[in-house]
Amino acid sequence: MALSAEEGISFEYHRYAELREALVAVWLQCPAISRIYTVGRSAEGRELLVIEISDRPGEHEPGEPEFKYVGNMHGNEAVGRELLIFLAQYLCNEYQKGNDTIINLIHSTRIHIMPSLNPDGFEKAASQPGELKDWFVGRSNAQGIDLNRNFPDLDRIVYVNEKEGGPNNHLLKNMKKAVDQNPKLAPETKGVIHWIMDIPFVLSANLHGGDLVANYPYDETRTGSAHEYSSCPDDAIFQSLARSYSSFNPAMSDPNRPPCRKNDDDSSFVDGTTNGGAWYSVPGGMQDFNYLSSNCFEITVELSCEKFPPEETLKGYWEDNKNSLINYIEQIHRGVKGFVKDLQGNPIANATISVEGISHDVTSAKDGDYWRLLVPGNYKVTASAPGYLAITKKVAVPFSPAVVVDFELESLSERKEEEKEELMEWWKMMSETLNF
Amino acid sequence: MGPGLGLAVALQVLALLASRGHGFPKPAGTDKAIHNRQLSVERPLEEQIAEAEADKNRKIAPTDDPDGLHQLDGTPLTAEDIVQKIAARIYEENDRGVFDKIVSKLLNLGLITESQAYTLEDEVAEVLQQLIANDAKNREKESEDFDYPASRADSDTKEKQQERMTPSKSDQDSFINGEVDDTLDNTWSSSNVLERRNELPSEDNFEDLQYFPNFYALLKSLNSETETKEKETLITIMKTLIDFVKMMVKYGTITPEEGVSYLENLDAMIAEQTKKKLENPSTKTRTKLTADKSSEEADSTKEEAAKMEKEYEFSKDSTKNEGQNAAGISEESRGKSEAYLEAIRKNIEWLKKHNKQGNKEDYDLSKLRDFIDQQADAYVDKGILDKEEADVIKRIYGSL
Repeated sequence: MALSAEEGISFEYHRYAELREALVAVWLQCPAISRIYTVGRSAEGRELLVIEISDRPGEHEPGEPEFKYVGNMHGNEAVGRELLIFLAQYLCNEYQKGNDTIINLIHSTRIHIMPSLNPDGFEKAASQPGELKDWFVGRSNAQGIDLNRNFPDLDRIVYVNEKEGGPNNHLLKNMKKAVDQNPKLAPETKGVIHWIMDIPFVLSANLHGGDLVANYPYDETRTGSAHEYSSCPDDAIFQSLARSYSSFNPAMSDPNRPPCRKNDDDSSFVDGTTNGGAWYSVPGGMQDFNYLSSNCFEITVELSCEKFPPEETLKGYWEDNKNSLINYIEQIHRGVKGFVKDLQGNPIANATISVEGISHDVTSAKDGDYWRLLVPGNYKVTASAPGYLAITKKVAVPFSPAVVVDFELESLSERKEEEKEELMEWWKMMSETLNF
Repeated sequence: MGPGLGLAVALQVLALLASRGHGFPKPAGTDKAIHNRQLSVERPLEEQIAEAEADKNRKIAPTDDPDGLHQLDGTPLTAEDIVQKIAARIYEENDRGVFDKIVSKLLNLGLITESQAYTLEDEVAEVLQQLIANDAKNREKESEDFDYPASRADSDTKEKQQERMTPSKSDQDSFINGEVDDTLDNTWSSSNVLERRNELPSEDNFEDLQYFPNFYALLKSLNSETETKEKETLITIMKTLIDFVKMMVKYGTITPEEGVSYLENLDAMIAEQTKKKLENPSTKTRTKLTADKSSEEADSTKEEAAKMEKEYEFSKDSTKNEGQNAAGISEESRGKSEAYLEAIRKNIEWLKKHNKQGNKEDYDLSKLRDFIDQQADAYVDKGILDKEEADVIKRIYGSL
């Protein structure tokens, strides 16, 4: 058992009961800023637990962006699971110690932490005897499904739309029922899909193991080949996001680091980051699913060469990753953000926010609030909604913080009314002048 | 049946009875004449208490006063009344804890000192013995309704009374500690009068238990040496239950017919519980019992229950906790309670510190406790917490 000077965090592996206990302990220590909930159950009935850290847990505050970390979707890739437990403890401890960075982060963001999307797989992997865990045992869920190949393959659809015309965002809009009735989807996958549809996540990271790199969309190659750089419309911001993680992890961003295994091909790695397709093609992954079905931008972080390293190494992994984990959350406060409302001040939900030159739109949430991550530059941002007149605004975006751009949209019927009034006025004037 | 089984069943029955007992109206009054004869000298202590409480509670309507510090007609209680009421309450609930609750309240209000508390204890013990003895004496009068056997004590009532007026300290102590005193035993033993259901041999002292065929069967099954103590305890409990019912009948709270039917229902319930326990050989009933008891029960009971609940959980769902064995479990649940306690402590410390720095939100412990209780229950519903974990958490907050 490795204990540490970092108070309240013991760096050891947590089985399901211990994971639950650890999250409950965080909640008990910080009940005013945390809340535990579950997104559903695994195939064997374990809860998919999430701990939410925010200044008003349980509430979406209008204008406050939502963030998530998901770990251990491959049950034998264990470091992410543990880091997320340590992170929850760390956030609580630092908040109480008066750490201003953490306090501000928690007050301005709603942070959701799911240490394990595959608790069943983890139990299998953790039960393996001996120091060295198997490369495969515990990877998939209890039904033998690889969760990171189980999501609806929206990349395929997008690639077709790119050629033939069609949207490249929110491709799941009419598919909720199809998802619920799809027998091929694992319960864990379904749980996550509902989660993504229910909460207007803006930024996310998916934690894995087996290598050391921050990976970004698209994961699936366009032509179907094994390795091919497959950029998405937001390639620029994704590179920046991936770098914002890797650059704070000394091992990940070390340019002289040898590959994890002698014959590994890490030629696509740049500054500890890589495009997914350039590294190797992954269809049906959760990362791209986020980007193509919702507003959420997600990257995949590979945290360790060894998938299930010895317990004594966990403290070291925490030290290497804690700054990255915090810094990555902070990236959510970049680009532009604001509210889309009508002329009476009512929020317009599901309005489209489009950026000239980037063929990927986001939408406003139910309070009319939106967040659009962008690298620094000059942009024209347009808000539109059915029945309303679109408005375009010019904005100069710095590295951070996010620039507030609000929109008040006039509805078409309002405009019609105005025009009618104008016409009446003109007729009145004419008739008076000409004496009808 | 296993050793724990019979006791568990009886304890559950007793607990149910105690909880149901609250629904029974309390005895309307006492026989003041007898009582005054016993306490010939008015003690300043009791007067002090009565006066102070009468002053404090003048505005409280009788129905609002849960501790019964007034007569039904609203006049304040005298010293003797108070001692009598306390004794009656202990008798009804068969729980010494009643006395502790009342005394600690008096101590906290500053109405008595510790040495006065000890004196009060003696006096209550005395009255309690009196209640039992009186009841045994009066049983003869009701023998037509119950057909209880004549007791030896009836013939030397006067002698007994004198004995009782100056009970020895050891008797009192042993009584207060829940053991049955000699007087009671004497009235139960001996008699050969067994008109009905004569398959019950008299040397087993089970005369009254003719009303409890199932209970009797349960006792019969406890034959090994290890189970003797348990057998004794069960008999004591049953006897107390019967006395309780008799008391109710004596005070006219229930009719004799109701008394009999109540006893018969009790026996039927024992049969049911026994059957259930046999079908479900786990420790579930034990944990249900702890839930029924008051929160002032010793912590070890709950920890014991926690351990057992964990064991039960493990046997029920081995997939959830592979690689753990029973030996490790109790350590773990202790460790878990400690972890939770530590976390709660940190929160309270932070709140105190935070509050000191003059933040606008006041640190309100009772509000926080309510919130935590609520959340803990919600978490149990959602499968995030076990029931027993939630209880641990509530208990920790309750003790703050």
